[in-house]
Amino acid sequence: MDSRPFRPRLTIGGVPVHAMLVPFPIVCFTGAMLTDIAYVNSPQVQWANFSQWLLAFGLGFAGLAAICGLVDWFGNRTTARPGSGWLHMVGNVVVLALALINNFVHSRDGWTGVVPTGITLSVLTVAIMVVTGFIGHRMAYVHQRAQVRA
Amino acid sequence: MSARAIRAVVATALVVGVAACSKPEFPAHEQYGNQPRLPAPKQFLFPPMGLATPIGWKANETPTVPQGFAIQGFARNLANPRSVLGLPNGDVLVVESGDPGLAPVLRPKDIVFGLTIGAVHGDTKPGNRVLLLRDTNGDGVADQRFVLADKLFSPFGIAVVDQTLYVAATDAILAYPFRTGDTRLGGPARVLAELPGGPIDHHWTKSLTASPDGAKLYVGVGSNSNIVENGLEAEKDRARIFEVDRQTGAMRPYATGLRNPNGLTFRPGTNDLWTVVNERDEIGNNLVPDYMTHVKPGAFYGWPWSWYGQHVDVRVKPERPDMVARATPPDYALGPHVAALGLAFANGGAFPARYQGGAFVGEHGSWDRTQLNGYQVAFVPFANGRPAGKPEAFVSGFLTKDEKSAHGRPVGLGFDARGALLVADDVGNTVWRVTAR
Repeated sequence: MDSRPFRPRLTIGGVPVHAMLVPFPIVCFTGAMLTDIAYVNSPQVQWANFSQWLLAFGLGFAGLAAICGLVDWFGNRTTARPGSGWLHMVGNVVVLALALINNFVHSRDGWTGVVPTGITLSVLTVAIMVVTGFIGHRMAYVHQRAQVRA
Repeated sequence: MSARAIRAVVATALVVGVAACSKPEFPAHEQYGNQPRLPAPKQFLFPPMGLATPIGWKANETPTVPQGFAIQGFARNLANPRSVLGLPNGDVLVVESGDPGLAPVLRPKDIVFGLTIGAVHGDTKPGNRVLLLRDTNGDGVADQRFVLADKLFSPFGIAVVDQTLYVAATDAILAYPFRTGDTRLGGPARVLAELPGGPIDHHWTKSLTASPDGAKLYVGVGSNSNIVENGLEAEKDRARIFEVDRQTGAMRPYATGLRNPNGLTFRPGTNDLWTVVNERDEIGNNLVPDYMTHVKPGAFYGWPWSWYGQHVDVRVKPERPDMVARATPPDYALGPHVAALGLAFANGGAFPARYQGGAFVGEHGSWDRTQLNGYQVAFVPFANGRPAGKPEAFVSGFLTKDEKSAHGRPVGLGFDARGALLVADDVGNTVWRVTAR
């Protein structure tokens, strides 16, 4: 049995591009949730506008991160792929889908761009991302340990 | 977050998405008159949209008119003509104009809308000037053109009173010395009154008319957004008609809550000011119908808090039940999203008796509707000083048969000295002239 460890395929100076990109959607989607909360409490349109930009950039970077992650995933033998990777992948596909829908919802003019659907999706996105992000970091940590072991 | 919850969210999103693509759920023709059927508002992932590619008119093409009428191009190859005014000596003033381009990109949506809706106004560079057209041989085609005023800031409304030409640019009413019959202005402009222009200037067309006694001017100032998505502070002094003293330039709000009032005109023989108003978008194919109304001094017509009286718009926060309670319903629904911009009443002259006293409405045409609506000059019969009966297509054929392309789009209307109806067509770059045979 081939026991070669999981190796990211897209790297710059040994650092996985996927790992460099994932902070963008994490920060953007979390920020969108916070600006949604700020909008609901004000309601000043600048916060809703903030949310729209954060969701748009978050989605763009999430798409790039997803492509890099998929290249890494399918660029490794099945036996090398960590078991929790599937959960990470499926969870983040849901995050991507919710963020896409949320972009459209937030494009509505006025209050209904955020309340109730928009802010609900923003919170759901972050909630799922907490789990998928944790799994992702755990995989990176385990992957590092495997590297050290190897 | 359970799998069931995720499924519920995704299912909801799909339902909303499909709803966004569905056809209008009841025919638009039920939305005319003083008691229009108003469906429940909807929220969309992507608002209903239907656009027509601008293709212009070939030299032998014209719009169509009913039996008993004829139409010809009074002047072609103009640069976005939007307003027309017939002078007593037969001369015709035409205002060529375009969007001032002051709206910044505030949201990702602005980029998307700029690439879609912004693309269907044609690629002609707007003239932003006032032309005088003269038909010296009376064949119904202008054979002389004079530029009266040039390099104006998105002019739209126009009026001539007491040897003065008034032009409503998007940021001011300008007054020029001008005598009917002259082919040039008697001097430079004087600013009679400043108008709310930038920042943003979402609805930039400032419609203008004079009171029958000539003492006052009335100017329409459209809202600075669809539904206050730029904040309430951007709506100061907007969505209203101002009364302007012609001598002093002093302004006072004449009526408010009118989202985008255009076609200001007094019904001949009365002191009733009439306007056509473009209502709000993105809550459905059939909401909210644009309307025509006589303007009650001091009245509030609902925007942004409500439409057609007390139909509350939940998109506006904070709520203002006190304002909703004050809202006056308009007289007459013209149909959803027709984009009424021009209004003229038949008054004597050459048109048959049944048209006399009735209203002609220039409908620029919809974007927020899967099935196109408007793109015509409609005729609304009147009885006892109020609209009576359904609107009829009067000048049509602006769209191709498949409704994919637009030869032109009507805007401002007016009657010339010989009683012919003039139609400014900003996409077809033509002023059309409709005569009774």
